[in-house]
Amino acid sequence: MLELANATYRYAGYAKPVLRDVDLRLGDGEIVGLVGPNEAGKSTLCLVAAGLAPASIGGELKGTLTLDGTPATGMRTHDLAERVVIAFQNPNTQRSGIAATVFEEIALGPMNLGLPIAETVARARDAISRLRLEPIVERDPQRLSGGQAQLVAIASLLAMRPRHVILDEPTAQLDPAGTRLVGEALEALAEAGTSLLIAEHKTDLLDRLCHRVVLIDGGRIIRDGATADVLGDPSLEGLGVEPPARVRLARDMAAAGIGRGVIERALA
Amino acid sequence: MIEIEDLVHVYPSGTRAVDGVSLSIGTGETVALVGQNGSGKSTLVRHLNGLQRPTEGRVVIDGVDASTRRVAQLAATVGLAFQDPDRQIFAGSVRGEVEFGPRNLGLGGTALTEATEAALTGTGLAGEADTNPYDLGYSRRKLLALASILAMQTPIVVLDEPTTGQDARGVSRIERIVAELAEDGRTVIAITHDMRFAAAWFERIVVMRAGKAVLDGSPAEVFDQANWPVLASTYLEPPLAARVGARLGLGSTPTVRALIERLGEGGGGTIPDRTPG
Amino acid sequence: MVGGYLGPLAIIAIAVLPAALVAGVAGRLVRVSLLLTLPIAISVVLVTVFTRSGETVLFVIGPFDATLEGVDFAGQTLVRLFAISTSIGLFGLTTEPRSFVLDLERRGLSPRFAFVALATLEAVPAMVERAGVIAAAQRARGLDTEGSLRARLRGVLPLAGPVVLSSLTEVEERSLALEVRAFGRPGRRQLLWRIPDSGTQLVVRGLLLGALVGAIVLRMTGTFPALP
Repeated sequence: MLELANATYRYAGYAKPVLRDVDLRLGDGEIVGLVGPNEAGKSTLCLVAAGLAPASIGGELKGTLTLDGTPATGMRTHDLAERVVIAFQNPNTQRSGIAATVFEEIALGPMNLGLPIAETVARARDAISRLRLEPIVERDPQRLSGGQAQLVAIASLLAMRPRHVILDEPTAQLDPAGTRLVGEALEALAEAGTSLLIAEHKTDLLDRLCHRVVLIDGGRIIRDGATADVLGDPSLEGLGVEPPARVRLARDMAAAGIGRGVIERALA
Repeated sequence: MIEIEDLVHVYPSGTRAVDGVSLSIGTGETVALVGQNGSGKSTLVRHLNGLQRPTEGRVVIDGVDASTRRVAQLAATVGLAFQDPDRQIFAGSVRGEVEFGPRNLGLGGTALTEATEAALTGTGLAGEADTNPYDLGYSRRKLLALASILAMQTPIVVLDEPTTGQDARGVSRIERIVAELAEDGRTVIAITHDMRFAAAWFERIVVMRAGKAVLDGSPAEVFDQANWPVLASTYLEPPLAARVGARLGLGSTPTVRALIERLGEGGGGTIPDRTPG
Repeated sequence: MVGGYLGPLAIIAIAVLPAALVAGVAGRLVRVSLLLTLPIAISVVLVTVFTRSGETVLFVIGPFDATLEGVDFAGQTLVRLFAISTSIGLFGLTTEPRSFVLDLERRGLSPRFAFVALATLEAVPAMVERAGVIAAAQRARGLDTEGSLRARLRGVLPLAGPVVLSSLTEVEERSLALEVRAFGRPGRRQLLWRIPDSGTQLVVRGLLLGALVGAIVLRMTGTFPALP
């Protein structure tokens, strides 16, 4: 379990905190969605949950991050790497730049953990098959399309077999096929016991994947509850979050005076 | 008027990114270009401003063969907003960034100021005109990149995945910009993965697969049930309104508006107006 | 006088060129070495030809005398420069940097250092590629860099900013992504790669080491004279 309690975080050199009094809990095997307008603190929350704020980027964190019962205070980034990983939206910055092939790129993570070669290879192969990357294992990582590169970046993290995976807009640069592929891989991960936090604008994706959704605005958690409840909340649009297509359609139809019965039949 | 004639583009690596595409785009048309990553959409639009040159075939813009013009010359006709804003932004202030393009095109004085202000207001950046672009978040830098192209006031505007990474307000802004450009008679071409955005705001959708255009028509035509197998073959799903309309036997309803109109019940209730927040 | 040329030319003829021919890089090697030594060569020639004190004056330009001794000195220096640059160039052209750094790591080099070395080597092509994309973006905004030389020069300035800035903004995210994958972890790691080493290579390495010792001995005993 990953637990944030009373987290208030201020970036180094800034006067005001970006996160205020955030409580968040990720249970084993849970998929939790994170929504909110841009600049509400989604990315900051992801960095704090991954422990990189403050362990890597400095700043001040009040409150605690606990990973599987152990407080994360004072952990070095490589200690954190064994427990929690974070995927960013830009695949180019997640590429190591030193791997000649996709296979090597994915194997770098477990290799860095000091694992025996056989184990490294096994984990890399596993991650490759989960994201169906077999066709491109021999390719040069610098020469992939944006979508392919993002899948490789996620696979590189999965190969480390972390207990907790944080993803900050992982499908931003993917096409619908890539988005679905990532969604399926994340579902399988959760079934195996990994806990996931996914920050996304694509509420349709979160609608399909998540057990719970958290809404953040102005650095505070506004809602934290079951997916259908939070994504169906009428206040979402006013806060700058696009609701899932079916919610929006139902609302638009109702506003146009179409009867409930028809709407229910339409969205059955 | 854009004429793409039997366009083929083969990269040095041998990849046949565009494999024989012929398209005519009329002045003032709004076209959404959709398809899987790697289907050739980006390569295709880069032929419009000369960043890519045809291996075979021609691109003719307003009667002029694009290969006879330098990129900077074509920039006066075709404005292309890149997908990654950080590959473009260099100025120390938002305003300086927006002014760069029109300045290169020879605008000055009041004309320059007006073009810049209009672009800043349209993208909601007027309040940050003196801010350093890197003090803005990524999604606002994307809007800045768009503003810097809008300020050039080109008759043809090409947008590469404009809504990616935007929240609901950002998407509304983009939608309004597209509508205003269309009203102004400009030709708008957008690459997008958002089928709802494509169906609602563009009069024509071109679906690309493996370097070829496999579907080309109005949203109602493209998202008609008869074409679903083709869409599925390139891993695209029609928007929810289209799927619902088909299930209810109402014909092709690519947008919420079309669906509601077909349903026609509720005594002509008003279709909700999506104003940006 | 001739002796001063013998040593470096011997090195080039006996050690460097044959090896370059065997490796198939002779043409590139000569081209690259000439290109790299050219700037230094020009300054060496200019300085030594005119300032070396000597008796035989060849020609005069203003207050400067070009002496035979000066030309000789310049020649010997150039030939030494060329021997050095072709040797280093040979190493660079025949060694894959990744194999080199990874093999060092296998022999005990810290993985962190190995990573920094490799990332630096890869950084240049990445920056060149990024510069290309940014240049395209600027051209698409009307900056005319094709055509006249002045236009090309004008195109460089708006390039510097985004190349550096986007590199910098990427640096933070890049280093975070690296830390997540435990690149900073102390301790050894078991490398996926094994650089093949054959008996022949071992023998050749031994011979080269012997040749180095021999060359030092010859130098010490005065067989190959120093520069005059």
